[in-house]
Amino acid sequence: MLTMLRDLRRLRRDLALPRPDRARSLAIRHVDAGSCNGCEHELTLVSGPHYDLQRFGLSVVASPRHADVLLVTGTVTTRMRGPLLTAYHAMPEPRKVAALGNCALGCDVIGTAESLAGPVSDILPVDLLIPGCPPAPDQIARALLNLIDGDPPAG
Amino acid sequence: MTVTAASGFRAEVAAALSEGWQARSLYAAADSQSVRIALTAPDGRTRIEAVAVGPDGAVPSIADLAPAMGWDEREAHDLHGIRFTGHEPMRPLLNHAAPLADWTVPVRGHDPYQVAVGPVHAGVIESGHFRFHVVGDRILHLDARLFYKHRGLERAAEGMAVAPALAVVSRACAACAVANGVAYATAAEQALGLRPAPQLARARTLLLELERVWNHLNDIAAVCAGVGMAAGNAWFLALTERARRLNASLTGHRFLFGSVQVGGSTLTLDADAAGRCASELAGLHAAAETGWRELAFNASFQDRLGGVGVVDAAACTRLGIVGPAARAAGLAEDARTASPYPGYDGFLPVTPVTAAGDVRDRLGQRMPELRQAFGILDRLLDQGPVSPATAVAGDAARPAGIGLAESPRGATSCIIERAGDAVRRVRLRTASYANWPAVAHAAAGSLLPDFPLINKSFELCYACADR
Repeated sequence: MLTMLRDLRRLRRDLALPRPDRARSLAIRHVDAGSCNGCEHELTLVSGPHYDLQRFGLSVVASPRHADVLLVTGTVTTRMRGPLLTAYHAMPEPRKVAALGNCALGCDVIGTAESLAGPVSDILPVDLLIPGCPPAPDQIARALLNLIDGDPPAG
Repeated sequence: MTVTAASGFRAEVAAALSEGWQARSLYAAADSQSVRIALTAPDGRTRIEAVAVGPDGAVPSIADLAPAMGWDEREAHDLHGIRFTGHEPMRPLLNHAAPLADWTVPVRGHDPYQVAVGPVHAGVIESGHFRFHVVGDRILHLDARLFYKHRGLERAAEGMAVAPALAVVSRACAACAVANGVAYATAAEQALGLRPAPQLARARTLLLELERVWNHLNDIAAVCAGVGMAAGNAWFLALTERARRLNASLTGHRFLFGSVQVGGSTLTLDADAAGRCASELAGLHAAAETGWRELAFNASFQDRLGGVGVVDAAACTRLGIVGPAARAAGLAEDARTASPYPGYDGFLPVTPVTAAGDVRDRLGQRMPELRQAFGILDRLLDQGPVSPATAVAGDAARPAGIGLAESPRGATSCIIERAGDAVRRVRLRTASYANWPAVAHAAAGSLLPDFPLINKSFELCYACADR
């Protein structure tokens, strides 16, 4: 165990990730609305040692009640439309919606019309688009940091 | 393909099963007028039997002969409206409009209650609904309702040209993109009268094993997360990241998307790149062994694994469970043993001595399998540079083809029926689809707080089951 902790500490030192320049936080609730699981796998690594987004105060929270932003992956299927809306309406205001990955953005979607309800923007007001198939963890990290550090979107 | 009358279908299937054939996939034809079953023999032979749907809209169920086909029949019922005589009760699988009582098993007794979880979960997890019937912390029964992510991928492929339609199965799932793609490409090439030249087959073996490496590393991290062991999770997540970066450096994509095609491969590794790849894999292997030793000697971690979520050999055989989950119960079952691809000659599946089929053995399966994957990759990379390759003429073209590939989660089959150059019907039956019933089986009798751990020990995809 001590070997593992020592080596992890060394990895962290070698990566020399920059420290955040100010104290901010963003609570994220992820909803998979019909992805291929690629966005989920990359999103998982955003919390891994190479990116460690928690150091910027970004965390994936267990309930939409605790969330500032709803992070949606996949094109919305007809079967996920209801649960997605339920999660959105459970969030306190102000709330933001981020569409993660090309499918969520409605690009190059494969499927049948009767199985798909449409891209996220057809269902919810989207504040942030994160393109990619899937977007790599550093792209996801940069985009989410923009949401707290960048200019607030109009409206 | 032979079409049997309804009266002879069950006898035909029963005879095949008694001769050692394995039922791999059951599906309705594109026009919903017949039902097919694909069977494979241990030596790699394949066959498809068909039965015409009767005037009453029914065919005889074979779910009692091959319980693994139970889900397949429910799917054909929900998507194609076919009735299966003898399959009672016919519980909905994809029909989410059905009332709760239709898809759950009635549980009666002293104080049982239900815990409903999902489809939206607390972490970064795919969508699916679990309904636990519990008394206190003890799970009596689990009814899973999946297919929230059903995108109609197979239907979308119908009418597309055979070669580009591979994108449909690749997009079914990022974690099994290569295995699904190879299963599709194998089926397509068989149908089109092609077979992979040795260089093409070698490229595919490399890709399949690269996919296994990152998945198994990810799965070990997932089990660590399942017991809240942050250090082990971080360790194996770091290795997963390295494996994905390696994938990107070799193919330009972290999940190897686009690297499998029908009739060819564009994978190119000059001597330099092959050497760099071998050296990074050696580094990954060494780091995985270090982490694995740490886990092996961590008593409080190991303490959580033994005797939890058991699916024994008999249950695996009955339910048609595949991959590491079946091997952990002692079944030496692996699609690679009958694979014609290089690198798999003389391949022998590993099974644990204990063969308990519990969380400990399912996790314990991952490292020996990683060692095998690293070994295969090393031998293949040692053969020199990899250059673009093509398929060559094989047996005569056929109206249908069957492809089998061992994904990180087990045997995945793909069947293609074609009309000329166009797809008439494609059926992708992934290892995750095969193994979801095992998760419910493992949960019964376990404690509710152990379920995340049990679930992670299988680490199945929802995406490629739902399609």
